[in-house]
Amino acid sequence: MSEALLRIDDLHVAFSTRRGMVEAVRGVTLTVEKGEMLGLVGESGSGKSVTGFATTRLLDAAGRVTGGKILFRGQDVTKLGGDDLRQLQGAAMSMIFQNPRAALNPIRAIGLQIADAILTHKRISKEAARGEALELLRAVQIREPEARMNAYPHELSGGMCQRVMIAIAISCNPSLLIADEPTTGLDVTTQKVVMDLLADIAAARGMATILITHDLGLAARYCRRIAVMERGRIVEEASPRTLFSTPQHAYTRRLVAASPTSTSRIEDLVTEEEREGYAAMLGKPRQEPAYGTPPLLEVRKLAKRFDEGSAAVADFSMTMAGGESVGLVGESGSGKSTTSRMICRLIDPSEGDIVFDGQSIGHIASRDFHRSPLRKDIQMVFQDPNESLNPRFTAFDCIAHPLMRLDGMRSGDALRARVEECAVRVGLPLDLLPRFPHQLSGGQKARVGIARAIACRPRLLVLDEPTAALDVSVQAVVLQLLDRLRRENDIALLFVSHDLNVVRMLCDRTIVLRNGGIVEQGESRALFDNPKTDYTRKLVEAIPHIETGKMLAAAL
Amino acid sequence: MLSYILRRIAATLPVMAIVALFVFSLLYIAPGDPAVVIAGDQASPEDVERIRQSLGLDRPFLIQFGSWVWRILHGDLGTSIFTNLPVSALIGQRLGPTLSLMTVTLLLTIVVAVPLGVVAAWKAGSLIDRVIMGFAVFGFSLPVFVVGYMLAYIFALELEWLPVQGYTPLAQGFWPWLENLILPAVALGCVYIALIARITRATMLEVLQQDYIRTARAKGLGQGGILFVHALKNAAVPIVTVIGIGIALLIGGAVVTESVFAIPGLGRLTIDAILRRDYPVIQGIVLLFSFVYVLVNLMIDVVYTLVDPRIRY
Repeated sequence: MSEALLRIDDLHVAFSTRRGMVEAVRGVTLTVEKGEMLGLVGESGSGKSVTGFATTRLLDAAGRVTGGKILFRGQDVTKLGGDDLRQLQGAAMSMIFQNPRAALNPIRAIGLQIADAILTHKRISKEAARGEALELLRAVQIREPEARMNAYPHELSGGMCQRVMIAIAISCNPSLLIADEPTTGLDVTTQKVVMDLLADIAAARGMATILITHDLGLAARYCRRIAVMERGRIVEEASPRTLFSTPQHAYTRRLVAASPTSTSRIEDLVTEEEREGYAAMLGKPRQEPAYGTPPLLEVRKLAKRFDEGSAAVADFSMTMAGGESVGLVGESGSGKSTTSRMICRLIDPSEGDIVFDGQSIGHIASRDFHRSPLRKDIQMVFQDPNESLNPRFTAFDCIAHPLMRLDGMRSGDALRARVEECAVRVGLPLDLLPRFPHQLSGGQKARVGIARAIACRPRLLVLDEPTAALDVSVQAVVLQLLDRLRRENDIALLFVSHDLNVVRMLCDRTIVLRNGGIVEQGESRALFDNPKTDYTRKLVEAIPHIETGKMLAAAL
Repeated sequence: MLSYILRRIAATLPVMAIVALFVFSLLYIAPGDPAVVIAGDQASPEDVERIRQSLGLDRPFLIQFGSWVWRILHGDLGTSIFTNLPVSALIGQRLGPTLSLMTVTLLLTIVVAVPLGVVAAWKAGSLIDRVIMGFAVFGFSLPVFVVGYMLAYIFALELEWLPVQGYTPLAQGFWPWLENLILPAVALGCVYIALIARITRATMLEVLQQDYIRTARAKGLGQGGILFVHALKNAAVPIVTVIGIGIALLIGGAVVTESVFAIPGLGRLTIDAILRRDYPVIQGIVLLFSFVYVLVNLMIDVVYTLVDPRIRY
């Protein structure tokens, strides 16, 4: 057998931090054959991206390869320097990144950015490079490529930016492409289009690809072989079918369990041993509201127009009962976040009314709503737990603040008791309360965000993609927590998400939004199993399910 | 773009009006009767009365202000009390040296400070970074007149490489003109070089952390291309801002520098006018400086839009 394209042999990477050297990769060994697409899967901190960066020699200044070899076409990449390295980067080996908008220079036209890569590696004129850049834009299926050549990244959508990144990466026909979370943060439909494009290009050009992702479903859909990483090591390597049907390592089992599928229920998201306490709680019957109880929330013909004129949301009506959970789904730009913010009274609707518990609140200006007694009753959990917590507030302050502002509590024992009670309810260890956000993990920050939101005992919780930034295993725990809060405290949940699998599990009813209007709504399971509109069907089909059955059989 | 510039110019009009009102009120804010102030200590009551009438000080404030503004709009800044020459002529004589000094200082500052800052950021934490930042702290802490006298002593008196003081107009040749300006420009520029080098370093450090710099490296771009094509332009907005503020501060620095190096510029004119309580001249100079400052701000805003396509007005 000929030499593999890439052979990583017992790779060790360490980062120097304030607390000394920290090993991020501890002995990774893997091979990539010519033209193959390998999935490298793991949660944050598993070392999967660091392995990718070490291979392309793009580690931060603080990171260093402390052991092992990375043989690319028989040449040890870790020992290259200067011009040899530059001839490799972007030419024989290239990389695309998470968050494509940030990965492009904001003040340089995209045509020039593609041409930069070409001019670095080929001795051709600027005009010729521009011509090639135009061809590449066509290859990545960007509409009106001539006009887009002079566009800046902020004028393009996230999916378009990632296409430009792909164009840059393939500009010099590399034999290896490393894609680091290429579609994280993109809509499911965009994700599918971008990944299909990437797979087609890789196949057409015989380019080997390493797909680095936290999404097992995505890796299963596009890769024949998946390597699972945990804490700097590869714990299992197998075909997707083997991985899902008979996972060997305990970590893989947990990861497979936590990944939502088209049929999983919330209680399925944990392994057997963790399930018991939750099951006991599910056994308790829920108290149904008495017949004739008015709805908790009633939204009538809500509309929002921003300055440009066209409506972001138009004619949106819905009702919610106490303790009910409703999902609001749609692609980015569909108006789901705008709607949720209007209901939360963070922004003002242009038209329509919001009635909460019999009182009209749509006409109270959002900047005055904090004085309303109903502010306590409607609380919000935000998308990014890293960005939505004040970095100068400890976890305790974050949770205590709404209590002091809205419940009129003074600092003291009573306040401390309430904060601790909230922390316990969300499963946040009490010894973490004095810590600042940067000292907490993503999952812990998410819990602080939820604890803050439930501190004043709201009756409606609006959640804007609360798990989008979290690992699947953390997401599983947070989803169970939310479901438990709803069942135990009768909190109604309005759940905004683009992750349909999550919505299907958590929500009784689902509303599908597109371009600011309701496309379809109904009971979640029925809606997803038998979508009535093409748009919903497209959304459902775009989710990379972990399907051990027919799709994989067809692929093999 | 043109409409933006026109709108910005229109927006500066109220600012200039307020400045004009303030400048005009100088006379009245100063304690005592303006006519007595202008006439000086040795004037007789008749002199004071004559000045009062000639300046129209006996008329109501707003009418005086109105006619003053009217004259200024027609290019008449009034007449110096001390020399009896038109203020505009006095300023015109002195404009050349000051403009020369400021231009040379500014060019020197940018040419020296920006590359220093870029190199310091690129080699952050290294010896060269520490040397540059050490120099920056030094440059900050020395007053202009100390640096000025030190430079004059070393390079003019001891080494005799450059003239001690004085000024030669550009019309008499480029080198004689520049020769006289080198020491003042270095003395005046020290603080700005330090300031701009530091800002450049800090901004570049932040930009170099960005994802798109990693992309540039992934493309295989050379260090020079990354630093100057991709990073520096992204760091430009804060740097341009500080350069603009620097120009405004330069005006004050020029006053001191011109005294040290005996340059017959606006700085000297200002000092002389203040010492002689020559109010029309002071008013004219303050008005001119405010105008320049507003103009510089406008230029900075225009440069922003050229540098960063995301900024639109």
